Amino acid sequence: MWNDIYYFIMVPMVYIAFATFALGILFKFAVVAFSPGIKGKLGAYPRRLPRPLGVVKEAFAVPVAFRKSKVFWFFIVAYHLSFALLVIGHLELIDEFAALQVIPHQVFLGAGWVGIVLMVSTLYFLFRRFRYPYNAISVPEDYLILILLFFALFFGSHMNLASRHLDFMFDVSKMRDYLQSLIALRPVLPEDIVSSYHNIMLALHVLFANLFLMLFPFGKMVHSVFAFCTLNLKRK
Amino acid sequence: MEKEKIRELKSLIASRLTRPMRYYLDTCTRCGLCYDTCHAYYGIPKKEYSPVGRAEVVRRAVKKHFRPSGRLFPYWGDATALDERVMDEMKEAAFSCTGCRRCMMYCPFGIDMPYILGIAKVLLIGYGNAPEELVMLADAAVEKGKSIDEFKEGFLSVIGDMELEVQKRLGLPSADGLIPMEKKNADVLFVGLSGAHSIIHPAVIFNAAKENWTLSFFEAVNFGMFAGDPEKMQFIADRVVNEAKALGVKEVVIVECGTAYRIPKFLLGPLPFKVTSIVEKIHQYLAENRIRMKDGAIAEPLTYHDPCQLGRNAGVFDEPREILARLASDYREMSPTREYNWCCGGGGGLVALDNEEFRIKSGKAKKDQIDATGAKIVVSACENCILQLNTIKDGYGLDVEVRSLSELVAERLAV
Ligand code: SF4
Ligand code: SF4
Repeated sequence: MWNDIYYFIMVPMVYIAFATFALGILFKFAVVAFSPGIKGKLGAYPRRLPRPLGVVKEAFAVPVAFRKSKVFWFFIVAYHLSFALLVIGHLELIDEFAALQVIPHQVFLGAGWVGIVLMVSTLYFLFRRFRYPYNAISVPEDYLILILLFFALFFGSHMNLASRHLDFMFDVSKMRDYLQSLIALRPVLPEDIVSSYHNIMLALHVLFANLFLMLFPFGKMVHSVFAFCTLNLKRK
Repeated sequence: MEKEKIRELKSLIASRLTRPMRYYLDTCTRCGLCYDTCHAYYGIPKKEYSPVGRAEVVRRAVKKHFRPSGRLFPYWGDATALDERVMDEMKEAAFSCTGCRRCMMYCPFGIDMPYILGIAKVLLIGYGNAPEELVMLADAAVEKGKSIDEFKEGFLSVIGDMELEVQKRLGLPSADGLIPMEKKNADVLFVGLSGAHSIIHPAVIFNAAKENWTLSFFEAVNFGMFAGDPEKMQFIADRVVNEAKALGVKEVVIVECGTAYRIPKFLLGPLPFKVTSIVEKIHQYLAENRIRMKDGAIAEPLTYHDPCQLGRNAGVFDEPREILARLASDYREMSPTREYNWCCGGGGGLVALDNEEFRIKSGKAKKDQIDATGAKIVVSACENCILQLNTIKDGYGLDVEVRSLSELVAERLAV
């Protein structure tokens, strides 16, 4: 039975998670696309930079948060930067991309720090929510998404760190076989993965990442896309 | 609440689910950066008066009725069905918000809280629970728009008295035509308010600048917007738009009233004429030397309160300051200022409601700011702000004089 559960998490559930994620995001976009626009403008002032530049600055440098809380700002920036590296790292677990190796590095990039920074930031976001006044405005899904993310990071990071510092080899080529087979819709779970010391860690990592992906389109995580739309409205 | 009523209210929500609304509803991460940025929260630190606290009231109902996740797993998102209690919360949230959008300056996504509260306001109208005062005032304005001919005679008779006052102020030999009405192809159509002062001071300035202008029959204030009724808002605004088109004017100049300016300037879409605030017009006259100020500036310490709709919501920050630089020798800036300046607590039609105690409390941020400047004169450029600043002054016993910018300019014109 354990084998079945293991297989379910590693193969069918990954498909279910990606399908939910993709269809959910498509659904979100479709709803927005079919909603009426407005004839007026909702912008605010001042606008020290022209629109596209200003939007990019506000989205990536988050000066608004910097003004209000330096600590929160630090974690916001650290988190989002590391998240971008995390995405690159995972792409490289699928295949070699020459473009991603402009600065040559070992796969998984970041020498283990990407996961650590993300975990610490996620814990900061989570514990911040337990404090007044943030607990007063938080709803259960705010905690849930952070907890899922934390566990996905915890188990993923564990494997990465273990492969670096212990005598356990995390075999990138086996991961590539596995992930490429998923993409090719001819899924195989290489025996080396199933029988590796970290098979449970990997399954837990995939489980929590699946859950995180499935929730992504249905909550506030869509701010990752819509933030650009709202910031654009602010300057229109 | 009966099912039929809920269905009706749901269709009202649906009518407001525009593209921006969907972005605003979905993007908030409940980060709390806006939490303490509302003047109402500053005066009364309750979650209900925090910007995100207000928006959540709306967001929870939208989630429950419009989102599969809210229907299937209401607990996780705190989705709440519409009922009497929720409607009360909506009223509290919507009609304690002045629409100042100060919170937007502190939101990393620039979420427009008053826009979200637009849903609460249409729901309250549909539920029959919107503030009566605002609804009645909006209805009266609509009525005037429908039967303007009946109002014309009475209006023209009071104009005569105002012209005499303008004549006296400018020391002119005749009062005739000092406040022109229905003048075709004028360069400027000026839209005032119901109070005579809102017409007399600008009329003095227009005449001093030898402007080719005419006065609108309507008041600039838009109670349809304050009540949150999109149709009435449009109708009330269209009265002036149609008048301007019929007269063929080049520019519509709006009295010192922030919302009245923001609506035609930004919310109606493209118009065949320019929309300007009287503050910008005065600034232009001074820059072109069409009007001059008397010698000898005001020596008492003076400060300026940025009306939210004129400042952060329309970008008119420098003009009033440059005008005041010519009028006062001891100008003191409030802190924080410009886009971060605190709202006085009078906008959004709140000064028209029976809520003085609340407005005094929610005006505490402004009171503290004025105190810190040590100013003896507080100037602003919005009728609502002036009324509320006086409420704050009386409520806290401040030793200051509250003045409107155009009044001060008209008074100190070199004629
Ligand atoms: S718009 Fe102004 S009054 Fe309304 S919630 Fe934001 S800060 Fe408060
Ligand atoms: S600052 Fe913006 S994102 Fe954060 S809680 Fe307030 S409205 Fe939501």
